[in-house]
Amino acid sequence: MLKKEQNDYLCQTGPGTPMGNFFRCYWQPALLSEELPEPDCPPVRVKLLGERLLAFRDSEGKLGLIDEFCAHRGVSLWFGRNEDCGLRCPYHGWKYDVTGQCTEVPSEPTESGYAKKIKLKSYPLIEQGGVLWTYMGPPEQQPPLPQYEFSTVPLNQTFMTKRIQECNWLQAMEGGIDSSHVSFLHRGDLHNDPLFKGAGGNKYNMQDLSPVFEVVESDGGLLIGARRNAEDDQYYWRITPWVMPNYTGVPPRGDHPMHGHFWVPIDDENCWAWSYDYHPTRALTDGEVAAMKDGKGVHVKYVPGTYRPLANKDNDYLMDRAGQKAGRTFSGVEGIGIQDASLQESMGPICDRTKENLVGTDNGIIMARHRLLRAARAFNDKGVQPPGVNPEHHTVRQAALLLKRDVQYKDGAKEALKAKKGVRQTSV
Amino acid sequence: MQSESAKMTTAHEAGFRVQYPNSKQRAAKVIALDPASAAIVEEISQKSWNGAAFFTSLAFTGEGNPGAVGGDLKAWLKDLAGRTMDLVAEVEHSDFVVVITTTGADARAVSVIADACALFNKSLVGLIVPGKDDSDAATTESMKYLRPYTRMLVIASGTDYIEAMLTALRA
Repeated sequence: MLKKEQNDYLCQTGPGTPMGNFFRCYWQPALLSEELPEPDCPPVRVKLLGERLLAFRDSEGKLGLIDEFCAHRGVSLWFGRNEDCGLRCPYHGWKYDVTGQCTEVPSEPTESGYAKKIKLKSYPLIEQGGVLWTYMGPPEQQPPLPQYEFSTVPLNQTFMTKRIQECNWLQAMEGGIDSSHVSFLHRGDLHNDPLFKGAGGNKYNMQDLSPVFEVVESDGGLLIGARRNAEDDQYYWRITPWVMPNYTGVPPRGDHPMHGHFWVPIDDENCWAWSYDYHPTRALTDGEVAAMKDGKGVHVKYVPGTYRPLANKDNDYLMDRAGQKAGRTFSGVEGIGIQDASLQESMGPICDRTKENLVGTDNGIIMARHRLLRAARAFNDKGVQPPGVNPEHHTVRQAALLLKRDVQYKDGAKEALKAKKGVRQTSV
Repeated sequence: MQSESAKMTTAHEAGFRVQYPNSKQRAAKVIALDPASAAIVEEISQKSWNGAAFFTSLAFTGEGNPGAVGGDLKAWLKDLAGRTMDLVAEVEHSDFVVVITTTGADARAVSVIADACALFNKSLVGLIVPGKDDSDAATTESMKYLRPYTRMLVIASGTDYIEAMLTALRA
């Protein structure tokens, strides 16, 4: 349960809000590289943290993320011509470079310097790991580039998708750290999904349906461990890292690629669910990539030409009551990503947490909210740099492993929880 | 035609959510396992709570024969007013139990509380907060006491989490 004012504090990320200021401390995924594939390609509308922006790649390949609207009469520059190192408004020909600087106002003499006095707000946009990242905070506080392992391995070892989710970012993100829902909502997928099945650790999931949880604070956020009984006085641990404010990793299965998410606010009622898969030491196989493109694992199938899931609220998520009754799926909805999205969207655009009744096993969620509130207040009131800004905090890995029963997993899995170049993930 | 899900997931429709309460008051029992956590529990108990009961220590006596040891032991909880309450009866009439210890402290009393929880199938949540010795070794030691008995164990970096957690659980 959260009080209304706490819920509002965490859910509102627009400009000038405390949580909006907080999010603007971090690099965030803005677009897939494939959305701006080449110089002078069509510009793309982007809405992030409640701001309408436009991304484009100029004639020299430079990336820009600028205010969507022309400073002259407020036309959307999405209609603009991307040409000769700038974006030209089709209405009266005003032209802007990737920094948002106006370079031409055709109706005014060049010598007048009028264009120099026009500049649209812009944010840095950098390319890393097949993702275009942006930082929307004060330039003087721009942190070093993100160091998440999925975005720093060679491109043939990583695969990223995004899908729109029509609800507030927090209820989506909380699904990523709510380990106890997996045994219900996603049951069945362990056996069937090509990106999960066959892992040695799966048997522990099936043998012990009552995992026990331990939540430990980390430098960047949290580690949430779920343990199940295993042989020889051992526990089978699945450890989920959460890095503030909105990154979650899913513990691995066997040698399958590791996956996880970013949950990025578009506005207060919509977010982007980014889903990655990567392998630290090998290229993804053709079969794995084909499965990911086919919407398996944490990925989804799309409405053609969009990033909207094919199963969405407009078609009741292709609800299959017969499949639900027969046990093919637990909820009647196919696919892990849509199973999550369907339920999270059903909470409404912004979940009313004053009506919740949480239980002890929800402590991962309770702690995450507590840490977000504490860090956001410390940042807004005292300027304290929040956890997760330091790139060292990004180099955490999810892990699945067997440990002696009396070992604290933060210690026993210490090395497994660190991303190390050229070192395989720790997985069972 | 607009789907049922599309229609029902708007902000407008969220406004029609039933306004009646969806839960009754729950009886949370919050038990300190060592003197340092007793001081923390005492301080937290001064806030406004939704029926939670706070206890600062656990003691044992022979039933009907205070001070006796061995044989027919009975466990007693001491509340903030200094009254002794029967552990088993308190657990029986609880909805969930939270035990709190500080790192490095002797928390072996948890096993008795866990036995009572097991008797009545009550959920036991363990919380470890920093004590005088908050080294990794001390944390590990505390964890060894609590891990065998708790369904959820939280190792928090500050005592402010206790209040946040109890509030979230409507304690």
